[in-house]
Amino acid sequence: METHLIPGARFVDPKVLARIKDLELLARYVVDGFINGLHRAPYFGASIDFAEHRGYVPGDDIRRVDWRLYARTDKYYVKQYEADTNANFVALVDVSKSMAFASQGVSKLQYASFLAACLAYLSHRQRDRVGIVTFDEDVVTHVPASAKHFNVLLHTLDRSVPQRPGRLLTVLDKLAEHFKRRSIVALISDLYENPTDLLESLKPYRFLGNDLIVFHILDPAEIEFPYTEASRFQDLESGEELPIVPEVFADQYRQMMKEHIEALTTKCSDSRIDYVQLTTSKPLDEALFSYLGNRERLMRIR
Amino acid sequence: MAFLAPLFLVGLAAIAVPIIVHLIQRERKTVVEFPSLMFLRQIPYQSVERRRIHNWPLLLLRAAAMALLVAAFSRPFFKVDPLQAAPATSGAREVLILLDRSASMGYGDHFAKAKSEAKKIVETIRGDDKATLILFGTGAEEVVRGSADRGRLSAAIDAAKVSSDGTRYAPVLRLAQSKLSQSTLPRKEAYLITDFQKSGWERQEEIHLPQGATLTPVSVASPGVSDLSVTSVAFQRTSFSGEERVTITAGLTNRSPTAVTSLPVKLEIDGRVVDTRPVTIEPNASGSVTFAQVTAAVPGMRGTVRAGTDNLARNNEFHFALSPSRPVSVLIIQADGAAPESSYFITTVLSIGASPPFKTEVVPASRVTAASFERRSVVVLNDATALSTQTTDLLKRFVEQGGGLFISLKDRTPWTGPEMPLMPGTPGAPVDRLGGGGGTLGYLDYSHPIFDEFKDPRNGNFSGVRFFRYRALTPAATDRVLARFDDGGAAMVERALGSGRIIAFTSPVDASWNSFPRAHLFLPLVHETMRYLAQYEEPEAWYTVGRMLDISVPIAAMVREGTAGDAQPTVRKATGVVMAPGGEQVALGDGGRNSVELLEQGFYSVRLQGMGERRPFQVAVNLDPAESDLSALPPAEFVNTATGRVAAPIVGGDLEHPELTPADIEKKQSLWWFLFVAGAAALLAEAILANRLSKRFGFGLLQTSKT
Repeated sequence: METHLIPGARFVDPKVLARIKDLELLARYVVDGFINGLHRAPYFGASIDFAEHRGYVPGDDIRRVDWRLYARTDKYYVKQYEADTNANFVALVDVSKSMAFASQGVSKLQYASFLAACLAYLSHRQRDRVGIVTFDEDVVTHVPASAKHFNVLLHTLDRSVPQRPGRLLTVLDKLAEHFKRRSIVALISDLYENPTDLLESLKPYRFLGNDLIVFHILDPAEIEFPYTEASRFQDLESGEELPIVPEVFADQYRQMMKEHIEALTTKCSDSRIDYVQLTTSKPLDEALFSYLGNRERLMRIR
Repeated sequence: MAFLAPLFLVGLAAIAVPIIVHLIQRERKTVVEFPSLMFLRQIPYQSVERRRIHNWPLLLLRAAAMALLVAAFSRPFFKVDPLQAAPATSGAREVLILLDRSASMGYGDHFAKAKSEAKKIVETIRGDDKATLILFGTGAEEVVRGSADRGRLSAAIDAAKVSSDGTRYAPVLRLAQSKLSQSTLPRKEAYLITDFQKSGWERQEEIHLPQGATLTPVSVASPGVSDLSVTSVAFQRTSFSGEERVTITAGLTNRSPTAVTSLPVKLEIDGRVVDTRPVTIEPNASGSVTFAQVTAAVPGMRGTVRAGTDNLARNNEFHFALSPSRPVSVLIIQADGAAPESSYFITTVLSIGASPPFKTEVVPASRVTAASFERRSVVVLNDATALSTQTTDLLKRFVEQGGGLFISLKDRTPWTGPEMPLMPGTPGAPVDRLGGGGGTLGYLDYSHPIFDEFKDPRNGNFSGVRFFRYRALTPAATDRVLARFDDGGAAMVERALGSGRIIAFTSPVDASWNSFPRAHLFLPLVHETMRYLAQYEEPEAWYTVGRMLDISVPIAAMVREGTAGDAQPTVRKATGVVMAPGGEQVALGDGGRNSVELLEQGFYSVRLQGMGERRPFQVAVNLDPAESDLSALPPAEFVNTATGRVAAPIVGGDLEHPELTPADIEKKQSLWWFLFVAGAAALLAEAILANRLSKRFGFGLLQTSKT
């Protein structure tokens, strides 16, 4: 039995989720289950929490007057609550051909779609504006953040087909200019780029006051490299072929992939960018945790 | 080392195939799609250009497999020292003279020629030699063992006669093999003097003569043999004026290139010619001739069909024993005053059928006399009341002499142990099974002959027969329960007494206590029971030479014919004498042999003690039909087939020794077989190893250095 981070959370195997065609239903299923699981969590509860009292001024809603305090002090005080303000949530989803890879039934793009849909739904529930950008070697679809764009976002994800090779750095550089307003930006990609170059492209997002979460989506086969038979390996993006002897190559490959992930983790951490590495076999709760942790830090506004 | 097929060694070039295959081998064509080769591209790739053999064991295994298979096909053999392999040309000889005396050797002058050839061999015997004369037919007999006495050997050859025996070569060749193997003399020679009948040799019987021994075939077969033989007779019986008339048809075969035209064929009964019919048969064809009817008046009539004479005269006559087909006589004893219909069912079913026919007579118990048992095979006690002591004694003696007794119990059957010693068990009170639709038969001993026909469920199911009442019967420990009711009560019990048999059925056969007589199984079961009690067997009109005659055969015939009577008080301890056609007498039965091998063609007469003036039991014996098939094997082919060696046939005194050819030596050593197995094993090992390596490396034997 697989254990989840939060007792009671019902996160379903991505392979099961893959059978749900309706992304909204999928997102609702995952997020609602997740929220229920968080019900008694110490730092998240209802979206509006009590913060402090302040003196009543004319115009305040008398329903918010704390009558008990009035009974003790004979002064009118109004209860002040923590409240979420509307923020922008934009998902940058990589739809390049490498995202089509699937060794266990769920492709990286499918997983990325689930994740984006769940995050968008979560944000939508919080009354945030949601938007999406899908890209490969260029921007494929750009849906600006809006409170009404949730369904458009889902449609965009649903229509995404990996067709072209990716050029992540170019696209990131191009998109950085679009995020003028403070936003939560979730980059969902397999990040086949040099970590140093990638961080250089991501830093502008931080400078603009955006909160950036990088979701590094990998298939288990990309990490474990379970191949045994010598074969020709074809690059999904470029079509290039290489003869590979797994027994000889596997250890080196695993080491390089490990170093790549470590480099990304370190560099993102140094740049105060949240980095979450996910494999398509994992439930979505890890991703949601990372997202919500970030959002809490960003949106604590009185 | 030499090779029988050296050209196959060219195939050794195939060893290069695995190496070439390895050198030109490319990577597998399977393509694995991978998201990005970003990392794999950075790993130093090993060039496929600079190949070298990586897995030497696999390559050597492949090369070895090729080499072994090629070597196997080239049929290698070790050259044998000619002095050892070839028959010795000097020193004392162990000589075996294998002389065929089967019936077929009676053809023309075959046996005379054979004896002449044997004598020629005897003439070569010198002082240190040892010669053994073996006469054979279906079996082999050493007449003179290990002797250099030419006079004695010649005398034994002169005394040899053609027998009625069939021909089988395997026993005599095995005897020769055994004797030559045991011999310490340097030269071992066997001479097979025969007509090489095809029918005498089973090809799977291979003989292995010891190294250096020779088998020299000496054929006396004549080319273009012609022979006419009587092969069988058939009877068609009809009744006429209370007598049985038999139409006899004889089958004849003409094995010659010319037709037989209007040949007179005679039918002799008891030595008297009763009919002569002409017959015409095409070349190499069969025909038949039907004689006028003869009356089968008495048992044991001697019949013979004669069809002229030719080179093999013995198969021109065919003997048979003719007896009237007496019906099985059944005496039914029923209670005094019993209704006439109480035996209706059993008499009715016994009046049906002809194999064998039954003859029944129903008498009340009080009217049974000693004469009533004469010429009876079976007595049925159908709910009979107590019999007189005298009648009981008569009945007991009848059974002891081989008669059958069937006791059907009903309420009037009063006997207990001492009162009725023939009852298999102790009868008890009637058991009512009126509830539940009556009882059924719950157990049947299908191993017993009377139920043998019913083993197959399609042949009848006894569960449908209902029994509403039956007499309890407690069998003795020595009695055999043949059937039980579903409540465990005995339904049929058998007891053996003397040479006879007794079966008790605990319910009547008149349909009053059960539904059995109305069931379709009643008739076959009654017939089987009566056949068993009468010890009825289909009489054989003739035997072939070599078969055994058991004493039970004439006894069964006496019981069948009702002639056992009181002349043979204890048939099981019967004694008698068998007189062979040649006049030899053999004691049979108690104190003598229980069976006699029928070795001669003609009539064997069996006379049992106490038969009085009655005709003796006749057993007709004929030649094995295979002996009439004179087609011969070529002697060289025969020796080659039998021993795996090549030998030149000798006709008329050529006694040179055959020499072993390379093919002979190779066949004997059979090295190719071991090489082939080793090659196959190497291929199997290669397949397993290659499969494992293939999964691991994929590129087979090749590995490259890092570039």
